[in-house]
Amino acid sequence: MIDNDFDRRDFLKVLGWGGATVALTGCGFTSVEDGKETVVSYVEAADYVAPGISVYFNSTCAQCDAGCSISGRVREGRVLKLEGNPDSVINRGKMCGLGQAGVQHHYNPDRVREPLLRNGDKGETITWEKAYALIAEKLNGVSGDQVDFLTGTVSGHLKVLLGNYLDSLSSKNHFVYEAVSPAVQRAANLKSYGMEMPHFNINKAKVVLSFGADFLGAWISPVHFAQQYADFRKGVDGQRGVLVQVESKMTLTGANADRWLVVRPGTEGILAMGVINALGAAGLHLPANVAAAVKDYDKERVSKDTGVSTEHLVKLAAILKERTPSLVLLGSAAEGYAHGSENAAAINLLNQVLGNVGKTVEASNAVPFPQIAPATGNSSALRLANNRLADGQCKVLFTYATNPIFTAPAEMKFKDNMAKAGFKVAFAHYLDETALQADLVLPLDSALEDWGTVVAEYQPDGVQIGVQQPLMEKLHPNTRGMGDILLALIKQRRAEEYKSFDDYYAYLRTALLNNKKEFAEAGIEDDIFWNDLLSNGIINVGGNPNKLVSKVATDFQLPAPVERDKQYPFNLIPSVTASLRDGRHANQPWLQESPDPLTTIVWDSWVEIHPRKAAELGIVEGDILEVASKNGAIRVQAYLFPGIHPDAVSIPLGRGHDALGRYAKGYGVNPFQILDRVFDKETGELAMHETLVKISKVGNRVIVVKDEGPAGGQQAGRKIAVSVSSDQVDLSEEV
Amino acid sequence: MKDIREDIAWAKINNDVLKSLESPRKLFWVIIICALGVFGIGVGCEVYQYSTGLGVANMDNPHVWGLYIASFIFWIGMSHSGTLLSAILHLMHADWRKPIYRFAEAMTTFSLMTAGLFVAVHLGRLWQLYYALPYPNERGIWPNFQSPLLWDAMAIFTYLSSSILFLYVGMIPDLAICRDNIHTGWRKKLYTLLSLGWEGTDRLWRNFRVTYLTIACFLIPLAVSVHSIVASDFAMSQQPGWHITSFPPYFVAGALYSGCAAIITLFIILRYVFKFEEYMTLSILKKTVRLTFAISMVWTYLNLIEYATVWYSHDEVAKAVLLQKATGPYAPFWWMMNFLGSIVPLVLAFKRFQTHIPVLLTVSLLLNVGMWLERWMIVAPTFSHGYYPWTWDHDQWPSLVQWGIVFGSFGWFTLLFMVFCKVFPSVSMYEVKEMVYHRSQATKKLEATGKMATAGKGAH
Amino acid sequence: MSVTNLLENWSDFRHKHPVEDVPHDPYKWAMSIDMDACTGCNACSVACYAENNLPVVGKEKYAHGQAMHWIRIERYWPEDDREFPDQGAQFLPMMCQQCEAAPCETVCPVGATNHTADGLNSQIYNRCIGSRYCSANCPFKVRYFNWYDYPTTENVWPAEMVQQLNPDITLRSKGVMEKCTFCIQRIRAGERSVKNEGRILRDGEVQTACQQVCPTNAITFGNLIDPDSKVHQKWKAQRVELDVDEQVKDKEEGGSELRGYRILEELRPYPSVMYMERVRESAI
Repeated sequence: MIDNDFDRRDFLKVLGWGGATVALTGCGFTSVEDGKETVVSYVEAADYVAPGISVYFNSTCAQCDAGCSISGRVREGRVLKLEGNPDSVINRGKMCGLGQAGVQHHYNPDRVREPLLRNGDKGETITWEKAYALIAEKLNGVSGDQVDFLTGTVSGHLKVLLGNYLDSLSSKNHFVYEAVSPAVQRAANLKSYGMEMPHFNINKAKVVLSFGADFLGAWISPVHFAQQYADFRKGVDGQRGVLVQVESKMTLTGANADRWLVVRPGTEGILAMGVINALGAAGLHLPANVAAAVKDYDKERVSKDTGVSTEHLVKLAAILKERTPSLVLLGSAAEGYAHGSENAAAINLLNQVLGNVGKTVEASNAVPFPQIAPATGNSSALRLANNRLADGQCKVLFTYATNPIFTAPAEMKFKDNMAKAGFKVAFAHYLDETALQADLVLPLDSALEDWGTVVAEYQPDGVQIGVQQPLMEKLHPNTRGMGDILLALIKQRRAEEYKSFDDYYAYLRTALLNNKKEFAEAGIEDDIFWNDLLSNGIINVGGNPNKLVSKVATDFQLPAPVERDKQYPFNLIPSVTASLRDGRHANQPWLQESPDPLTTIVWDSWVEIHPRKAAELGIVEGDILEVASKNGAIRVQAYLFPGIHPDAVSIPLGRGHDALGRYAKGYGVNPFQILDRVFDKETGELAMHETLVKISKVGNRVIVVKDEGPAGGQQAGRKIAVSVSSDQVDLSEEV
Repeated sequence: MKDIREDIAWAKINNDVLKSLESPRKLFWVIIICALGVFGIGVGCEVYQYSTGLGVANMDNPHVWGLYIASFIFWIGMSHSGTLLSAILHLMHADWRKPIYRFAEAMTTFSLMTAGLFVAVHLGRLWQLYYALPYPNERGIWPNFQSPLLWDAMAIFTYLSSSILFLYVGMIPDLAICRDNIHTGWRKKLYTLLSLGWEGTDRLWRNFRVTYLTIACFLIPLAVSVHSIVASDFAMSQQPGWHITSFPPYFVAGALYSGCAAIITLFIILRYVFKFEEYMTLSILKKTVRLTFAISMVWTYLNLIEYATVWYSHDEVAKAVLLQKATGPYAPFWWMMNFLGSIVPLVLAFKRFQTHIPVLLTVSLLLNVGMWLERWMIVAPTFSHGYYPWTWDHDQWPSLVQWGIVFGSFGWFTLLFMVFCKVFPSVSMYEVKEMVYHRSQATKKLEATGKMATAGKGAH
Repeated sequence: MSVTNLLENWSDFRHKHPVEDVPHDPYKWAMSIDMDACTGCNACSVACYAENNLPVVGKEKYAHGQAMHWIRIERYWPEDDREFPDQGAQFLPMMCQQCEAAPCETVCPVGATNHTADGLNSQIYNRCIGSRYCSANCPFKVRYFNWYDYPTTENVWPAEMVQQLNPDITLRSKGVMEKCTFCIQRIRAGERSVKNEGRILRDGEVQTACQQVCPTNAITFGNLIDPDSKVHQKWKAQRVELDVDEQVKDKEEGGSELRGYRILEELRPYPSVMYMERVRESAI
C-alpha cells in the first residue's frame, strides 16, 4: 500500500506536530489561504490525507467562556467530532454536551452565509468590499463617543484588536454584556479575597456548602468543577466529600447533593449568617465583629426566615466544624436579588470564618498580558448601553457574540432603543433576534474555521491560553473570521500600522512569535515554536499569583425576608440549564433533544411548580399556565417538580426564540422577556431572581414531551437505581 | 324444530346449492362493495406505512408491537374452528356439521391468509421478509431456529397449506357436480380443471375417503400446535404478563372460541345471502351455539386460571401488569374483554336465544370483539408496564393508519370469503346427501323397529 | 448458523455466555458505572449522538416515544413521601447491558442480533427485518427502532450536517433495530491496529465515546478478563461475577460494604454492566 514516493518522515512529522500542516498550508488539507483548492483530491492528496484515517487537531471550544481545549477529529477534510484535549488543565480531556455540540454550530444549516444589508424588511446580499465601504461611510462624521460596541465576553488577541479598533475610532464604549454571569460574585470576591475569581478547590474540601452554585451544570467552568467533584467524592483519605446545596430551585448540583436544603427565595445570606451563629454556638471561635454581626441570627429566627429546620442548621454547623477544610460556594441563586451583594458578602464571610481562605479558596494567577485577559461580561453593561441608545447617544452600534433583544427584559425596551441608533452592524453566525434588527449583518466563520486565542476567566492552574485554529476548510466561502473583519476595519483607520498583516492569522502569528520568549525556552526556532503551539492547542503561561487576602467585612445589612406579595405571590426563578444557558446555541439540535437532567423535558420550556402548590391550585402536569409578571406574561406548560420552594416557580432560560433557526424558532418561551427591572444595589446587575409573578391556568393541557415515563422517576420497588448510606461503605477499599 | 327434510330429493340439493353460485340475494353485492371499500382503506394505509416507515402506525420504543400482532393472533385464532368442525367433528361422526363445515373450512383458510398478511404488515422491512425463510444460500446464513417467531412462520405456513389441501380435497366431488351442471364460460373450465376428472366410481370414493380422513387426522395436531406456537411467542419470552405456562391451552381455547363465534356470524349471513335456509337449519345453529357456549366456559376457566396463577405467584412484576390491566389506561378495554368474553356468552345458555337469529348475530359479533380485545390486552399492557419502570408508557394509542390496516384486514377476509362462496359450493352437496341418506335410513330402521314394537304390543 | 453447524454443535449452540468450559478469550468487554460519580450531566448522551450518528428525531417524534438515545440518563427520586427530595435525585445512565445470555438474541427470527466472541451483543443492520421481537423481550428496553427513514427525514441531517456523520458507522434505514454497541467501531479499529504489533489491546487503548467524555469518570470500560484492566479490578473489588445471578453482596446479611450490583440480575441475562450504588452521607 505504501508506495515509494510516500515520504514517511514527512507523514510522521505531520502527525506528530498536528497543527503544523495547518500552519503551513493555512488550513489543514487544502490551501485555504489562496483559495485555489476546495476539495480533497484522492488522486493527488497530500501525504497526511489518508482516506479512512482520522487526524486530531487541537483547538479551543467556543461554546461557552470556560475555555476548554478541544481535540477535533478530522477525516477527509471534515471535522467529525469534538473531544477533550487531555493536556488542558481546564478540562483534562473531558467535555460537556454543550461543547460537543460545537460541530452542529459549525455545520448548522441556518448560518448566515453572505453579508446582508437591510433593504426594508429584507436582507440584501452585498459584497464584503461594499460592506466595509459602507461601515467606513457611516463612521464618517460620527464622533468616537457615538460609536458603541456591545459584545459578549472577549479575550485574547481578538480583544486586543477590538480595543485597537475602538481606539482608532477614539471610542471608549465597549460594553461587555453576558446575560448569565457571576458578576455580583466577582465584586464580592474582590472585596473579600482581593481578586474576582480565586481558585475554588472543591477537590481539597471535605465539605462543600454551595449556595446555589451549579458547578456541575452551568457555573463558571463546569467541566473542570465536575472533575474536581469526582475527586471530592472519592475523598481525601477515603473520607468522601459531603455536598450540601442551599437553593430555592434544585439545580443539577443540588440533585447530586447529600443534603439539599430548600430556602425561601432570597434568604441565602440569612442562612449563611445563621450557620456562622450556629458555628459560634458549637464552639468555633468567631472574631468579635463577626460574632456581633451574627448575634441576631439565632437558629430559631433563621429557621423561621429561611424555612430550613433548626435540626439541619445544627447538623450543618456540626459537620462544617468537624470536617475541615470545607468550601463555601456562591452561585447565581444567591446573587440574583436586589440584595445579591449582601448575600454574597454573608456567604463569603462564612468561608472566612471557617478558615477556608488559603486552603480551599486559593489565589488564582493574573494573566501576564493584561491586554489579552478576558473582558468579562455582566448585565450592568447592558443597562449602560441601553441608556445610551435610549438617549440617542449612540449613532453606530456594533454587536458581536451577544443577543440583547432576546436576553434583555422587555421592560428595558432594548429593541426600540436600538432602532434609535443610526446604523447597526451585527457580526453574527445566525440571524438571531438582534441581527434581524441590524442594518448590516456580517457573517462570521464558525469557531472551527477561525483563528484566535482564548483566555478563560477561571484559570485552575497557572494561566492557559487556548489556541483556536481552523479544523477544516471554510464551509461557506463568504463568511469571515471576526479577527479578519476587525483587521480590515482597523486598516480603514490605520492602514500604515497594520499593512504588514495580510490577515488575522498573520497578526496572531506575529503577536505570539513576538512574545515567544514568554512561552517557550529560548532559542527555539519560530516555525518549531509555532508548530508546537498549534499541535498543543494551548499555551501555558505561568503568571504570577494574585494576592490573596481575607478581608473580614461585616458592614452589610441583610434585609428581612419580604412578605409574600398578594397579587404576585411567586418568585420567578429563571433557571440556567447546562445545555442551553442564555440561548445562543438553541439552534443546535443535539442540545434541544438532550433532556433536561432534572425534568427530562426536551424541545420545549416548562414552568416548575411544587406538587403541593400545584394541588392547591388544581394544576396538573401539562396544564398551560400563564405566568405573568408586572412586565409581561408567557404561556408555558406546567411540570410538577418536588425540588422547588412552594413560593417559587421556575422557567428555564434559553428557549423561546422567534428567530435564530429551524431548531430554535418557536420552541418554548423566553422568561427573559418578563423579568422585572430590579437591580442589585451595589453592582447594578440585573437581579434575575427578583421577578414576582402570578400564575393562572389558561384552560388547555398538553402532553409534556419528556423522556421520563408516567412512573415519574419511581422504581416500583425494583432494584434499579440504588443508593447506600455512607456509613455502610468504605470507599478507601475501592479501586 | 325443523331440521333438514329427510325426504329431500338429491337433485333438489344440487339445484339449491348450485343456485347459490348464480343468484345470491342483493345483500351479497352490498357486502362485496363494503368489503372492497374497507380493504381499499387498509391498502391505502399500508402503502403509506410502507413508504414512510412504521412510525406512522404510532408505535414507539419500547411499545414496539401494537394492533398488528393482536390482530395477527386474532386471525390465527379464527382459523381454528374450521378445523374443529371439519376435522375433529368429522372423526367424531357428528353428522350435523355436514352442511356447514365447508364454509368453516374456507374461513380457516382465509383467516390464516389474513393472519399471514399481518406478519408482513408488521415488519419494519417487509421487503426483506424472505430472510425469515430457510432457503439455501451460498453464505450459509439460516434463520434463527430458536426464535418462536420462526416456529410461528413455519407452523402457519404448514397449517395454511394443509388447510387449503383439506378444503380442496373435500370439495372434489362437489366440483364434479358443478362441472356436470354448468356448461359454459370460465366456470366450466375451472371446475373441469379442479375436479380432476372425478367420476364417482366406488374406487374413487374409497380412495377419497381414506385421503380425506388422513388429512383430517393430520390437521388436528397442526391446529392445536399452531396456536400453541403463537402462544409461545409470548410464553417463551421473558416479559411479565407473557411468561405464563398456561398460555398455549389458553390461546387454543381462545382460538376455538372466537372461531365458533365467527362461524355463528357467518352461518347467519350465508344462510340469508345464499338462501340456504333449508340446509343451514336452526337445529344446526343450535348445536353450534351450544358448542360455542361450552368453549366460552372453558376459555373463562383458563382465563381465571391465568389471573389466579399471576395473582398468587410471587412474581410481583407480572402482578403489577395484571393490576395495571385492571386499573390503568387499558382498564376499560380489559373489563370490556372480560365482560364480553365471560358474561355475554351466558345468553347462549338460554334455550330461546339459541335459535334467535338477531340475538345470536349480535352476541356472536360481541364475542368476537371481546376476543379481539383479549388479544390486544395480551400484547399491549406488557409493553406499557414491563420490567423497567422508566420506560413505562401509558399514552400509546394506535394511529388511524394502524386502525385502518386492522379494519382493512376485515375487508380482505370478507372479500375472499364471499368470493369463495360465490364461486365454490359453500354447502357440501355430497355430504348433505350422505347425511340425509343416513338419517332416512336410520328413520326407516327406527320405523321398522317401531312397527315391530307396535306389532309386538298388538300381539299381546 | 448453518444447519450442519447447528446439528453438529447442538450442545455448544447458545453457549456463548461464560460457562466454565467456554471462557471468553482474549476479550470480554464490560463496563462499570459509578453512580456516586455520575452527575447526570448528559455529556455521554451527546457524545453518543456524535459518535454513532444517532438521528435527532424532533419534538413530535420524541413525544411519540420514538427518540433514539442509545444511552439515556434516568432521573430517580427517593421513594418516600417527603415534601422535598432533600437528599437529591439519583441519575442512572442506561444503555444496552450487553447481556451474556441476552433475551433479545434468542428471539430474533433471522439471527440479526448475535453474541460475539468478545462478549458483545451485536446487531447486524443488514440482516434485520424489523420484527422488533428483540425489543419486546429486552427487560431494559434499550433497543431503538428506526420508525422512520431518518437519513431522508427533513431536518435530521440537513445539507451541511451530513458532513458531521461518522464515516465509520452506517446510517440506519427505516425498519431496522439499533442499540448501543459499546462503540464497536472503536473496538474493531483498536484490535486491528494492535494486531500489527502482535499483541492484544491494553486497558485504556479503546474508550467508548461516553466514557471518554464523562467529566467525572463515572464510566469505566475495558476488558474484563484482563487482570490489569480497571474494569476487571472494579468488578473484582465489588465481588461481582459475570455468570451468576446472585452476588456476594446479595448473600451478606444485614447490608454489605459492597456497592456493585447489576440491574435485573435475577432474570439471568448476565449483564456486562456493573453499577455501583450512589452513596449518601449519613452525617447530614
